[in-house]
Amino acid sequence: MNDKLFLRTAVGETMVNLAADNPKIVAVSADVMGSCRMTEFVKKYPTRSFNVGIAEQEMVSFSAGLAKEGFLAYAFTFGPFMSMRACEQIRDDVAYNRLNVRFISTYSGVSGGVSGTTHWTMEDCSIMRGVPEMTILEPCDCFQMEKMLQATVHYNGPIYLRISIEPVKEIYSRDYEFQFGKAYRLADGKDGAFLCSGITVKYALEAAKRLSDETGASIKVFDMQSIKPMDVNAVIEAGKTSRVIVAQDHNVIGGLGDAVAFVLAKHGIKTDFEVKGTPDEFFVMGHAPWLYHKFGMDAEGLYDAMKSMLEK
Amino acid sequence: MDTMSKQETIKNLEKACLAIRKDILDLATREVMHVGGDLSIADVVTVLWQYRMKYDPKNPQWEGRDRFVLSKGHAAAVVAFNQAAIGCFSRQEVLETYAKDGSRFSMHACNLINPYVEISAGSLGHGFPIACGMAAGLRLKGNKTSRVYVIMGDGEQSEGSIWEGVLNAVFHKLGNLVAIIDNNGLGGDAELTKSTTLGNIADKYRTFGWRVEEFDGNDVLQIVEHLDNLPAADSDVPILLVCDTVKGKGVSFMENVPKWHCGAITNEQYDELVETLDHEFKQKWGH
Repeated sequence: MNDKLFLRTAVGETMVNLAADNPKIVAVSADVMGSCRMTEFVKKYPTRSFNVGIAEQEMVSFSAGLAKEGFLAYAFTFGPFMSMRACEQIRDDVAYNRLNVRFISTYSGVSGGVSGTTHWTMEDCSIMRGVPEMTILEPCDCFQMEKMLQATVHYNGPIYLRISIEPVKEIYSRDYEFQFGKAYRLADGKDGAFLCSGITVKYALEAAKRLSDETGASIKVFDMQSIKPMDVNAVIEAGKTSRVIVAQDHNVIGGLGDAVAFVLAKHGIKTDFEVKGTPDEFFVMGHAPWLYHKFGMDAEGLYDAMKSMLEK
Repeated sequence: MDTMSKQETIKNLEKACLAIRKDILDLATREVMHVGGDLSIADVVTVLWQYRMKYDPKNPQWEGRDRFVLSKGHAAAVVAFNQAAIGCFSRQEVLETYAKDGSRFSMHACNLINPYVEISAGSLGHGFPIACGMAAGLRLKGNKTSRVYVIMGDGEQSEGSIWEGVLNAVFHKLGNLVAIIDNNGLGGDAELTKSTTLGNIADKYRTFGWRVEEFDGNDVLQIVEHLDNLPAADSDVPILLVCDTVKGKGVSFMENVPKWHCGAITNEQYDELVETLDHEFKQKWGH
């Protein structure tokens, strides 16, 4: 049995269930329904599935048109094509027109691994944060993915979901409830805080445990699941530990790190601060875990970064 | 329609087009605007809004309405004046508040505070693919009678996103989609023959599987006849109307002159132009 957990699997299963309850849900893809695990959806709801071909701009505009006619459109493709090829369509056709399209954007960060830079998404958070009225979510486990998708059905406004294709761990128990604009504190502590989203959450939990076991330090771990709007109180709480490390599979510029820094600066919170993510340069391809290690955002890298901060 | 009533209809529509042209010129004395492209498509927009489209200004969300998308969003003024003509708001409001701070009449179609604009547009190559999605949405809802009319520029055909939509409209059998090209031959800088050169745009669409009709887009009679004889809205083949037009139509010094893509005129020019337009109308119709 393959016991690896993938967010994409949760997406495919959840979409089938949501569509069963809501006839307004439609799926639009640019020839990657299979990769996005939407094959079952297409089989069950052929008239509510649109493959526009390898044409991401059309996918987004077409979704906007369907949304204009009252449908709840979920658009599926890889992050770089969604956020960059179709960026202006997302901004003008969907956000500006205030239409309910959900962007299911896979291959977040460098989770595309050996596919290389063209299939990595190191910029989407930065781009989407700048789009007025855009909501940005980033799940870290399958149950959260399911809850997030459920929440998107009843939300008014465009939503961008950045979804890793790396295997995830089970992080949330069944009493987890998703809320827009809320971070989730997964570990409490007083000596420092990891603020993470997506794939880095599992690494931060591992690092925090090791820090506790080996040094006795207690470190908070926040899952910043809702990148925009952001949970300001969680950031302030984290900042009060005086040691903040932000980790996201995204360029260190423009992503979660900048968003957190903005809140800390605005609220005048004095703290040591570091951002772990992909460096602001192009990098040779490799499997994602190897890259995470290189960039210091895996469990070991986060452990080392917090340990240095504690020893300062 | 019998011959007499048809002639009356054409006369009334030409009169409406005359009034719209005067509105555009009036506005051009107050603001720099996209006067050339407003004038080229004025007749088509007028026939659509004041004759062909099913639309209730008292209920702009009416499900049974025809949808109108202005993909060449810079012709927002000619649409606004037509919406005023059917009672959406007053023409005075358009004249006095167009491009004024906080107004609902922007240089480009904007629906933030204007419920009569279906889709905000301005960046070229966007409205048309959205219209494809709307047409697919109407189909999915089982609305078999409404059409989606979308007006594009000919220069806009250089946008790659247009061709993504051209393929999809055929694949998704969107016979309820009526695309219209304002084929005035001029871009922002110059004649299109000096840039990407469209060649035979009608043949290009035909090759992709569209039903294409070509006619004089400044001739009200021809516009009416083509719009009256469209295949049923529940047919399977998307329709393109290539409307051959003259940029700046009706104003001799603007016609086919690229710099009049955007511009303004003086009150004296306005008076002379109105006199000429009135005279031409009287020559044709008598009074």
